Amino acid sequence: MFRLIIVLTIFCSVAAVALAKVYDITKGPIAEQERLKTVAALKAVLPLFNNDIDKDAQELVVGKDKKGRDIKIKFYPGKMNEAIVGTAFQVIAPDGYAGDINILMGVAPEGKVSGIEIISHKETPGLGNKIMKEEWRGQFKGRSLEDGPRFAVKKDGGDINQFSGATISPRAVVGAVKKGLDIYNKEFGNGG
Amino acid sequence: MADREMAQEITEVQPLAVVPGFDLKEIAGDFLRGLWEEIPLFRLVLGMCPTLAVTTSAINGVGMGIATTFVLVMSNILISILRKIIPDMIRIPAFIIVIATFVTVTDLMMAAFTPELHHSLGIFIPLIVVNCIVLARAEAFASKNNVIRSTADGLGMGIGFTIVLILLGTVREILGNGTWFDMPVLTGIMEAFEYEYQPMIVMILPPGAFIGLGLLVALANKIEERRKGKK
Amino acid sequence: MENVVEILIILVSTIFVTNFVLTRFLGICPFLGVSARIETSIGMGMAVIFVITLAGVSAWLIEKFILIPFNLIYLRTIVFILVIATLVQFVEMVIRKTSPALYNALGIFLPLITTNCAVLAVALLVVQKEMDFFPMLFFSFGAPVGFTIALLLMAGIREQMAYARIPKVLQGTPISLVTAGLMSLAFLGFAGLVK
Repeated sequence: MFRLIIVLTIFCSVAAVALAKVYDITKGPIAEQERLKTVAALKAVLPLFNNDIDKDAQELVVGKDKKGRDIKIKFYPGKMNEAIVGTAFQVIAPDGYAGDINILMGVAPEGKVSGIEIISHKETPGLGNKIMKEEWRGQFKGRSLEDGPRFAVKKDGGDINQFSGATISPRAVVGAVKKGLDIYNKEFGNGG
Repeated sequence: MADREMAQEITEVQPLAVVPGFDLKEIAGDFLRGLWEEIPLFRLVLGMCPTLAVTTSAINGVGMGIATTFVLVMSNILISILRKIIPDMIRIPAFIIVIATFVTVTDLMMAAFTPELHHSLGIFIPLIVVNCIVLARAEAFASKNNVIRSTADGLGMGIGFTIVLILLGTVREILGNGTWFDMPVLTGIMEAFEYEYQPMIVMILPPGAFIGLGLLVALANKIEERRKGKK
Repeated sequence: MENVVEILIILVSTIFVTNFVLTRFLGICPFLGVSARIETSIGMGMAVIFVITLAGVSAWLIEKFILIPFNLIYLRTIVFILVIATLVQFVEMVIRKTSPALYNALGIFLPLITTNCAVLAVALLVVQKEMDFFPMLFFSFGAPVGFTIALLLMAGIREQMAYARIPKVLQGTPISLVTAGLMSLAFLGFAGLVK
């Protein structure tokens, strides 16, 4: 009995030490991969910038949720030679067809969308997941809240395409981006 | 049935063999057994969950297959080396620790060096721990045979598993998305005839996984039936 | 009131919308292996509900009070699988001592549960999604209930299938998989039910 316990303990300790070593080796590359991914997404939604964008990021409290906890959003300011060319941040569309849609959106200083990326979603393949397509996302470029009712899917009287058989996902994305613009205007409000 | 009896005979007789085998024919047999006679998923109903879940595309199948093969081979080797040290009573927990360690190594490595694949395979990488194939080979083969034979067995089983994953991934991706390894195969052909390919979305969705694998297993049964008939 | 609604949403979505077996592909081996008769399916289902709920809670506590404070997150998989194996042994012992009747009903299924990937999956999901305690509790309960429902439905179909003339190459695993596919197709109808 005693021998069994000793053998198992040795097994566990060796495993733990080995894993600690591997974890140490891979920790750096994993963090770097994640950073690269963030920066790549930021580059896609913002105009050309040349600052260390993830170092300049700042987290702001933009409101409270139902339970009274702070809602925090991390804002990434894109700067070209110290002048702000746009700000990127993540918004969540809670009303997707099958759960949350996470969107990264970039907003130019004058309050116009400079681009959006879908970070993660659970929409139906072949239907709702067409929101991933670049030509669809491209329709958001240059939009602002001043567009009024035209900034909506066609079914709601706007001029953004929906997909046959899938209106919910595009509508959710439009809603979230509008909400994002609203938050942007409140926080950085020039003219909002 | 005869195959299985034979396999059982091998695993039962082997521990008694005095000279650790460098018998090339035997090693080749251990390797090849995983490729057809006991190919996972077709002949042994093991490891269904990751198979069904990740095969939405062929490349996912390749990734899952390689990850599983790595864990299979490494754990078979280590368990075979340690087989005389591990007390019989606690062999299963000991096997699980070995397997879980290699799975975590795979998980961390993939997160560091193939982040996209790591993302799309998601929770099914840590779940290799409970993939019955790995534990079954540890228990049925590696704990009773020498290192070289266990390596051959792990490699054969792993490659057999990978082949089935790629097959299912291929069928599902081509029908469900019109592409193969992201190349526009079916979409391209249809375009050449000026048709737009309407993908069979259901093949990418869960039902397509079940039905696709079901039909592939039936096809394997048919081939085996033919093969036996010829003999 | 709001909490009750939230709980209901978690339950409906884990049991039906993202059914563990039919849309997430977890626990397929026992799903195909044990579902030949309704009676055994009930036994297996109960054992799984019991173990998974406990496993979810244990994993959540271990993550919160051991792995995160000591910065040992990379040991997650290995710790969880050992905890599950121990848990199953422990449950087996307790049931054998306290209720021989229950042991007769569940006993043979318990050893099988360690390698049911649904157990480890629940443990990993509750910590990966950083759930709060109560959502975690109902998630860990709803997931195996969904598993059991799928298992029972399958057992019902397979009991009938015993009387059907199935082509030889389709017998066994293939026809079970195709049946599961059709069930999964039906469960797709629940998609979008819970926002």
